[in-house]
Amino acid sequence: MKFSQQEIFEVVKQNSIKVLMDVDPSLITLDTSLTELGANSIDRVEVVMYSMEQLGIEVPRTEFRGVRDIRTLVDLLHSYCR
Amino acid sequence: MNRPQTPGRNRAVAVTGAGVVCSIAGSVAELGTALRQGRCGVTRYDDPDTPSIRVAATLRDFSWQAALEPFMCDYPDLGRRAGRVLNTNNPSTALSACAAIQAYVQAGLGDGSERLEDTGLIVAGSNLDQKYMADNWHRFRKTGRWIDPKYALSFHDSNQLGSLSEILALRGAGCTLGAASASGNAALFNAVQWIRSGFMQKCLVVGACSRFSALELDAFSLLGAATSGERHENPIQACRPFDMDHDGFVWGEASACLVLESPDSVRARNTKVLGEILGGSLLLDAHHLPDPSVEGEVRAMRSALESADLQPEQIGYVNAHGTSSPLGDRTECQALKAVFGEQSDGPWINSTKSLVGHCMSAAGVLEVLCSLIQMNDGFLHPNLNLERPIDRDLRFAGAESRAFEAEYALSNGFGFGGINSTLVIGRAGRP
Repeated sequence: MKFSQQEIFEVVKQNSIKVLMDVDPSLITLDTSLTELGANSIDRVEVVMYSMEQLGIEVPRTEFRGVRDIRTLVDLLHSYCR
Repeated sequence: MNRPQTPGRNRAVAVTGAGVVCSIAGSVAELGTALRQGRCGVTRYDDPDTPSIRVAATLRDFSWQAALEPFMCDYPDLGRRAGRVLNTNNPSTALSACAAIQAYVQAGLGDGSERLEDTGLIVAGSNLDQKYMADNWHRFRKTGRWIDPKYALSFHDSNQLGSLSEILALRGAGCTLGAASASGNAALFNAVQWIRSGFMQKCLVVGACSRFSALELDAFSLLGAATSGERHENPIQACRPFDMDHDGFVWGEASACLVLESPDSVRARNTKVLGEILGGSLLLDAHHLPDPSVEGEVRAMRSALESADLQPEQIGYVNAHGTSSPLGDRTECQALKAVFGEQSDGPWINSTKSLVGHCMSAAGVLEVLCSLIQMNDGFLHPNLNLERPIDRDLRFAGAESRAFEAEYALSNGFGFGGINSTLVIGRAGRP
């Protein structure tokens, strides 16, 4: 399944809102990190798992080591959507 | 040694808060009305994976968000914490939280001004959310990956401790306590000991919802413990404790919570008392099978009475274990007659399970709550479907509610594996 980076960002954003609940949606940008938005390690796993499930992809767990912010997360997910 | 002036008075532990979610009520007030009306929560159960079970007293269209809505305005911090903790939690934990928040607010703990380092939490039951586990296993087998990301945390029953303690800001002692169908009684009795010994001043006891998957339901059916519900046309006729046509328990979903509190704490906080737990017992039968024992049940009831310094003739009411299982009901009748005598002037008896089914881990807590409601409001709820009693001497409730008075009651809980527990309860405002 092919998704644009914008579509993947929207998926990540919606799942961040679902998991973090009281986060201000306007703060979720490509340049913020999930940690900056208040996510703990469990929250981050949830956001990533829900997003991968929605996108129908599976990214090996070791690949996430290089993720620094939502931009690098979206890029990584996008590279598995092609 | 000084004997207490009033039975069990010096060792009584107060009940200062209560909450419930079950098939016939979403609050204690609704439960009072439903008990008085004799409303039954048993309905048709249509799960294609469980053809052996056709009836259950399940929660229909339950939403924890809707259940907690009434608290959001007055207790915004509590509401925010609940939302955050329950957001992606398992359903049994969410149900526990709904019952616990009701009880906590009623006990006057909701305003956040209390020091809760002296307040414990015991979650009654084990293997609480089998349905959640089965659903995840099913997804894992099917997809190889898309399980609940929090499964490693949430499959533990003890997840409920962390979740509830965060929502309620509890910092005292905590544990889960499993004793099969006697779990609720066992947890309450343990909380009584914590408070009597001064270890805790208050303790929330949550009877957690036993959510069964198709596997557990079919397994109970296989052993003949649960009724299929097919012998009776109407599902509300399936659960018939102490009736000759009983043929097994009907599973019920519920969560209930009581706040127990020391007399000193009650005085210091000037809290309203809903009733008291005066004594109890928790005893094993040295037997691992689900074979109820007259001797074991008699021992549980006598030991509980002794611990409360009460005589059998002072007991006005018994909330029976009464699951609607032929052997279990017969055994309990024999035990009741051994304790209270063969004459028909003994205590009134009913089984709350005829209305809400067998709520397993939650049953003991829910049934103590139902006992208090009946004693405080002066009515005895019906024992539904008792058309031809298996015993003609015991004083069973009829098909309709009736006015009655009882100062003291027993509530029985007997679990698989010979775990027998009885609690002695006193109504509020006794002289």
